[in-house]
Amino acid sequence: MNEPFVAPRRFARLVLKVNVFLLLGLAMVGAFMALVAYKQGWFVQQTPVHFVTANALGVNRGMPVKLFGFTIGTVSDMQLSPEGVDVTLSIISDYVPRIPQGSEARFAREGGIVGASVIEIQPGPAGPAVRAGERIAFRPQRGISEIVDDFRRQAVPAFNEVKNLFTQLKGPGDDVAGTLAGLRQEVQRLPETRAALQKLLVTAERTTEQLGQQSIATMRATQRTAEAAERAMAVVPPLAEKVGSAVESIDGAASQLRRTAEEAQGTLQRARPLIERGELAARDAGEVLGAAKRVWPLSDSFRETADRDLPIDSFEARGKSLRP
Amino acid sequence: MRRRATLLIAALCAACSSAPPPAPPPAPQAQAQTRLNESEARAAALVRAGDFAGAAREYGEAIRLAASVENADALAANAINQSIVDQWLGRDAEAREAIARVTDDKQRNFPEKRRLQAEVRRAILELAGSHNDAAATWAGRAETRCAGACEHAATILNVQAQIALATSHPADAERLAAAAGERASARGDKAEQANALRTLGRAQRLQGNAAAALPNLEQALLIDRELGDPRKILADLTELAMANDAAGNRDAARNYYARAVAVSKAMNDTRGLAEMEAQVKRP
Repeated sequence: MNEPFVAPRRFARLVLKVNVFLLLGLAMVGAFMALVAYKQGWFVQQTPVHFVTANALGVNRGMPVKLFGFTIGTVSDMQLSPEGVDVTLSIISDYVPRIPQGSEARFAREGGIVGASVIEIQPGPAGPAVRAGERIAFRPQRGISEIVDDFRRQAVPAFNEVKNLFTQLKGPGDDVAGTLAGLRQEVQRLPETRAALQKLLVTAERTTEQLGQQSIATMRATQRTAEAAERAMAVVPPLAEKVGSAVESIDGAASQLRRTAEEAQGTLQRARPLIERGELAARDAGEVLGAAKRVWPLSDSFRETADRDLPIDSFEARGKSLRP
Repeated sequence: MRRRATLLIAALCAACSSAPPPAPPPAPQAQAQTRLNESEARAAALVRAGDFAGAAREYGEAIRLAASVENADALAANAINQSIVDQWLGRDAEAREAIARVTDDKQRNFPEKRRLQAEVRRAILELAGSHNDAAATWAGRAETRCAGACEHAATILNVQAQIALATSHPADAERLAAAAGERASARGDKAEQANALRTLGRAQRLQGNAAAALPNLEQALLIDRELGDPRKILADLTELAMANDAAGNRDAARNYYARAVAVSKAMNDTRGLAEMEAQVKRP
């Protein structure tokens, strides 16, 4: 009844087949591990460099280390030390020559305030490269509160200046809008003022020229009178002496008149650029005020009453339904 | 235990949801003035957004608030604004009613500037309604008040020039428009300068001097394109077309008519559109 067990034919050389299968499996696991090790940089020679920080908040193992934004290593180890936390950086040895002694490490974020955190190497002055295991300096990161403080330190004087400007603009009994309206009116009148000044200058120049011409004519007449007087002096010496002194004084007066005219002309010429500069300055002031009026924190204070008026346009007299 | 916890949570929620103690209310006068300012700001915003009906309502509210605090300047300013917006909406009776709040009120102490503005606006409204005599009366009053040296001098002269045109006195219109152009140019008022040039060109055409009208109308068109007001561009193009027609430049006239048709269609303004299209097709 009991028949002897006969192994099926497909189980022939079973041990050999199992061993081959196991070997293949082992080879595949080994290849996978080699691939992982390659990807992890186990075959890349790395140089350890370290720094010590009093506060390692945000620094993690595996965090990239960057030089000019290019990854040159990772944070490989962190240990507590008497000074704080000793952070070891594994730098790819090929890039170590780019890190001279005196370089600093600092905590940074790739996108400025937001973004992935990295350790950034700030290269020091040109010199020999850092050695394996050497300690480099660490510059701690500025916190938001420090940034805000810094901004406040810079902004407060500016705001104080604006406040002073407001105080000066306001004056006793006036409001800013009124002062500005006055200023604006004055600025708008500048072209007329300039035209009037130019007219005045032209008139003054013409007057000066006429004055000069008249003084020259007066001098010539005086000279002629003097010559006549000299001729008369030969006839009446005492009278001639008197006339001579009178002529001298007239001559002196004429010279003085001429000098005065020249000075007036010079003054007018010097005044012209001054007036032009004044006009430019007023226009600049108008532009600065205009720009300041558009800035958010100030815009509410500069709301002008004139802005509420819609334009009165004679075109509307043409007829019905002329909506713009 | 559970009930106590529920009560505690409910009490905490109630505490969180309760309103903070109210701030002391501002003084009634300041409150009304603030509401007036806000109403004016809302009206201005509605005008900018093109909601003229809403703006007219807001100006009405601003007038009421200004009257409540006896702010004559604000009352007049908002009445003038309301008349402008009402006229844009084609509500001429309401526009006249709004401006009459200032022009017909002799008791209230309106600032001189507002009285002048209201008189100019009244003249404009009367002329728009073809009440030429009334327009001349109000323009005359404004002219007297202005004494030739106010900011609306060019506007007054332009209105008077248009009145002269409407009453068939083109020579007077030409003189007044030329004076208006000079005033507007001296003040840098581009809108009134263009209005003056347009009226001047029209007056010259009506006197049979179409060739002289063309440069003035072209300059008016340049300014109005710079200002970007399609109503005025349309008026300039139409005037240029008529002036060119009168000067015998038929091709140029047809070109201006075609441009006027395009602008008119873009504005959804069908007034005179058929006539202009007919002019384009006319050989």
